[in-house]
Amino acid sequence: MARVIVMDLSRHNTVLVGHDRYFVLHTEGRALLVLDRCPHRGGPLSLARRTPDGRRLSCPWHGTKVGVAAVKRTSLPMVRSGDEAVVVLPDGDDEGGEPISVIRKEVLANLPPDAPCAAESAGEAAGAVGAGEVARR
Amino acid sequence: MTIQSAEEEIDRTLGKRIISFARSPLFQGDAQVLHPPNPYRRMLVPDALAEGDFDRPPAAGEWAAHRSLSAHRLLGTFYEADTVLLPEQGLAPLHADFDLFYGSELRELRESSVSALERFAFACLDDAVDVSGAATPEVLDAYFQHVVAEAENGPSPALAAIAAARDRESAADLYLVQLALDGLTEASAMSRNLAGAYGPEQSALFKIFIDEFGYGVYDAKHTTIFAKMLRSRAMATHVHAYWNFYLAGPLATNNYYYYLSRDHAKFFRYAGAVTYAEAVFAPAFVEMVKVFRDIFGDNVDLHYCDEHAHIDEHHGRITREEVLLALAARHGPRVVPELMRGVAEARLIGGWFEDDTAAQIRWSDDLPRHRDLAGTVRLGPEPRRVALTPDSPFGTRSHDDSMVLEVERGEAELITTPTGPPERLARGDAVLIPAGRLYGVRSTAAACDYLLHAVTPDG
Repeated sequence: MARVIVMDLSRHNTVLVGHDRYFVLHTEGRALLVLDRCPHRGGPLSLARRTPDGRRLSCPWHGTKVGVAAVKRTSLPMVRSGDEAVVVLPDGDDEGGEPISVIRKEVLANLPPDAPCAAESAGEAAGAVGAGEVARR
Repeated sequence: MTIQSAEEEIDRTLGKRIISFARSPLFQGDAQVLHPPNPYRRMLVPDALAEGDFDRPPAAGEWAAHRSLSAHRLLGTFYEADTVLLPEQGLAPLHADFDLFYGSELRELRESSVSALERFAFACLDDAVDVSGAATPEVLDAYFQHVVAEAENGPSPALAAIAAARDRESAADLYLVQLALDGLTEASAMSRNLAGAYGPEQSALFKIFIDEFGYGVYDAKHTTIFAKMLRSRAMATHVHAYWNFYLAGPLATNNYYYYLSRDHAKFFRYAGAVTYAEAVFAPAFVEMVKVFRDIFGDNVDLHYCDEHAHIDEHHGRITREEVLLALAARHGPRVVPELMRGVAEARLIGGWFEDDTAAQIRWSDDLPRHRDLAGTVRLGPEPRRVALTPDSPFGTRSHDDSMVLEVERGEAELITTPTGPPERLARGDAVLIPAGRLYGVRSTAAACDYLLHAVTPDG
């Protein structure tokens, strides 16, 4: 059963689907909802920093360099209209019974390579849980 | 660059070309509020058009800008010049206008401007909508069903505004006029996608088209039964009597389908858009019947709405199963993002139709309060003076920012709806015109001057 959620991108940047986490990656002027997991050992790519050329993310766990192009390929289907994003989630193992939540958290992967972390985190309540609208079909 | 080549460059700019087009005698308007039964004449308000910066497309948040209204009036005229328009009473007295409308001079201006004008008018969609991630037919259907269910369950802002209006009849007529833009030429855009060879999906679209055209029976054609609805409200039925009252949102909505169907690179986007439209029409017309019956009882012919409430159930099913999903299945994942984009854009632009119409209904229904508000806002320096006589051409326009209109000399009528009573303004009277609201002014004295004051941001 397909599951659809609606996110307000001005308020939320992360979706939790069961044990999987996705975050909004801004790249080339687009917002993509990508898997927050390093292919090496599962580190949080949302907390990765961009390499100086901006083309890769440096995972905070082991420093693995993951190409942005590869990260983009993990993105969930999403239709953005203004700040509203309608996301179609992958089918769940238990017929969509996994808990889903939409939150705002600290995302360093969208900062320029040389920007200090505080630039983004100062304006955010890291880890704060927001109430996203969740719809199921 | 030489002076001569610089001048040639200016002549090539979009703004120059469309002003040349709008200065045709066909587009100067006359003193009447409604246009006569002559499909070639429509007021393009060339003086107001000249104010617009056509090098700066309206952004996603600027859909209500005056240059957006101007651009969509022009585009609508361009597109309709690619269709056959003949007056019901016969062409004999209008042949010169026919020759001018379809003639080489205007055609060359249209053809040299239309692509740039489309980019100008619809660039906001590029910013506003984005489709990302791996898209499959299953994802497409999940997204489609989600947004259709949302539309079915959500209220129509325009119909809600009619129901809440003090003058519900005028509000309902204003809504009918917005539908008339498409209703009097229905399915003309769709006809552009019937030619070619694209398999069973082409035949599915044709089934919808023949419903729109009443199976070749003129009395059953949707445009005919739409005119019947207007007639039951004692409204004019010719193309385009109410041109001056078409709002930017409805103009953009109508133009959008022409825009997609003029360029077959956008065919899949068109398929998504038309599928969304057909799916949400049926419940929308059911709601419209309720609101209109509540207002007019049996004194309105709603055959058009009943027909759509019924047939669009079928069209919604046919377009989803036999066009949208069939195209996705046949042509693979690469076309799915374009199909989804069409759904998303149709949803967005349909929302603009609703919001613009609702805002116009609320403002025009509440002019006494906007007279009061005119006295409470802070005005900028150097108002613009407009001089009118009873013979001045009547046209409507909007402004990018809120303005206060103040009559300095004489008397005038402020006209904001096609059938409602005009608001009489005597010398010294003032009214607040919110940004994006459509209005026209007619002098009721031998001479009338009015001032347009910009409202300062902190006002």
